[in-house]
Amino acid sequence: MATKITTPALMAGLEPLSRRSLLRGVALGGLAFSTGCSRLFGRKDAPEALKYKHLSEDEIRTITRLTEVLLPTEQHGLPSALLVVPTMSNLDEMTGQMQPQSRELLSLALWIFENRPKMSFKFSRFSKLDDAKAREYVLAMQDGAFFERGITSTLKTFITVNYWRDSRTWPGLDYTGPVTEKWGVRRLGNAPLPLV
Amino acid sequence: MRIVTVPRDGVPVTDARAVASDAALGKQFSVQADVVVVGSGAGGSVVAYEMAKAGRKVLILEAGRYQPSANFTEHLGDTMTQIYTDQAGQINTTGDVIFVEGKCVGGSTVIGACVMQKPADAVLNRWASEYGLPDLAADKLAPTFDLVGEWQGVHVNEAHEINSTAHKVIQGCERMGYSWKPVQRNVKRCALTGHCLAGCPSDRKMSALVTHLPWATAHGARIFADTHVTRVLMKSGRATGVEAVVRDPDTGHIVSNMRVDASVVVVAGGSIQTPLLLQRSQVPDKSGQLGRNLAVQPFTQVIGKFKEPLYGFRGALVGVQVDEFVESHGYQFISGLAEPEQLMVQSEQGAGDEHIEYMKSYKHMAGLNVFALDEGRGTVEWKGGLLDGGKEIKWSPSRSEFNNIVHSTSLAARILFSAGAERVWLPTFQKLHADNVFDLDEQLKQVDYGINGIYTFRMNTFNSHGSARMGVDEYTSVVNPNGEVHGVSGLYVADASIIPEPMAVAPQWTVQVLAKYVSDKIQSRASSHFVS
Repeated sequence: MATKITTPALMAGLEPLSRRSLLRGVALGGLAFSTGCSRLFGRKDAPEALKYKHLSEDEIRTITRLTEVLLPTEQHGLPSALLVVPTMSNLDEMTGQMQPQSRELLSLALWIFENRPKMSFKFSRFSKLDDAKAREYVLAMQDGAFFERGITSTLKTFITVNYWRDSRTWPGLDYTGPVTEKWGVRRLGNAPLPLV
Repeated sequence: MRIVTVPRDGVPVTDARAVASDAALGKQFSVQADVVVVGSGAGGSVVAYEMAKAGRKVLILEAGRYQPSANFTEHLGDTMTQIYTDQAGQINTTGDVIFVEGKCVGGSTVIGACVMQKPADAVLNRWASEYGLPDLAADKLAPTFDLVGEWQGVHVNEAHEINSTAHKVIQGCERMGYSWKPVQRNVKRCALTGHCLAGCPSDRKMSALVTHLPWATAHGARIFADTHVTRVLMKSGRATGVEAVVRDPDTGHIVSNMRVDASVVVVAGGSIQTPLLLQRSQVPDKSGQLGRNLAVQPFTQVIGKFKEPLYGFRGALVGVQVDEFVESHGYQFISGLAEPEQLMVQSEQGAGDEHIEYMKSYKHMAGLNVFALDEGRGTVEWKGGLLDGGKEIKWSPSRSEFNNIVHSTSLAARILFSAGAERVWLPTFQKLHADNVFDLDEQLKQVDYGINGIYTFRMNTFNSHGSARMGVDEYTSVVNPNGEVHGVSGLYVADASIIPEPMAVAPQWTVQVLAKYVSDKIQSRASSHFVS
């Protein structure tokens, strides 16, 4: 079990979290929520944060960095995930509609993801890592312990869904998108009432 | 003689906006009905139609919004945020299984993939003999299955409804010697757009939006959307109505409080929402089984990449099913590749350049969807107060369920390799793929059960059922053989919750049949429920 975690994680300098470290991390996260610590999660009045109604400044920073790592779209001739496609606005809107429980889990996941490298990358937060290290960290988390995989997959899904849902990304995939109107498909309306 | 006219298009619905602008209703109003139906999906719509047709004054309350089919955009991402429960993010407590559910007028019938399957006769006969439900025996229900099948336009996929993804699955099965057959679907003259999960804008999918709901309203039923039922009202062992709040679907603000006085209450919110409502209402539960026995039929998707472009997302979403293992193992495979957004939810796609390359392979992909039979050990529980509480869904695979998922995934991957796939991506939280069948088992060995199998396979459920199971004994079941909650006269359940045990097929057809069955039972007891 231990060897499985260490191979890719060690390469990235990501030491496996002990059970105690995990509990400490979760407890710290929980404390931050329960006290409503504004310095950790509260919205500050930074200009970039004002664009978004539901995500905090810290959350935006983490998501932005993760989006850059996950979606280097411009290098592949795809619209930018941060400048063209409103990935962040989509995420912000989705966050605003979340159930309170899911919203709290998202905050916790982002906090852990942002701060997890402190234990392995000389006290650096994820959003401060350079490109190469940030990518190594994401890959290591993906192959890490169950909760690291879970957090990483959830955040990746959260971001990538909100990029690929934009129709401007589809030509790059040769995906045709909606066709009913294009094909002139006639609407049939309601089914007739059964005779009996 | 009364002339009954079905609207040509759409369904008359009173939504939050209409309530807000109706001064006569105000912040609090009450309505009287013979039958109030909670939920407008597969079960609720059938009950509403049957009751309205029988001359009852019927009110349907739907928590989701009304999205007329003319407004469907075929953008899955947008649709998920609007008419899927919790924006397609309804999850278990460990956050690794998504419980997919429609939250709109028409419920999950609107966003389903149109797969219509009957349980095997042996299954229905077991319900009859082992659960004391003789009216559910195969020969007794056969006429109702036929009737519902006719209403729904159920047909076996024809040649033009088998797309390139399905052809790859057929090819793989033929080489492996596995049995396959075209899927039966409830579609009328399918336009082959492939966008079933985002709702059908041309009304070809026979969802409740174009069948039982307009038919029910033609018979006088009235539908309220954006209306969340908080509890069932009961007095002296009888259901007397419900309380509900009407919320603006965009802001979540309460527009009005509603009370419905009714002789019969039919709860049809599906296997998640129904037990939650009954728990909030504190219905008697001598069995302690309310919200238990939730079967999830875990669903995973194995993706194969082929050398040639397939454009497997074009054509009918689901084409064929592999039925080789239904009887022997309880799993089935259904071909299908949906929109790009779905890939994000179903499989691990790497990061950076690798992720982009994965997505650029989209047109080369074929998807094989695995549905495994589980043991029905899930639970649904309402935690907290009536208005400020929340749901808690628990389900994680047991070791044997986990082993089944490993085995079924392996079989699905082999089918795709046999069809010529160059690479198969596995539906795991770890980033795993195999480039040949010899590598496959090594890759799958890396998926360790770990702690309760959490964060191992990326699982969803479209077909959960069984959380308020039907049975004779009030100490082992929640509803009696009529579908009536044990100990509460006039309170019925008519949805997937009442299915008495885990089953291996898509449940919509069965739910509609059970809803018709419950409607008939209500009618047969009309003299004890209704004044006139």
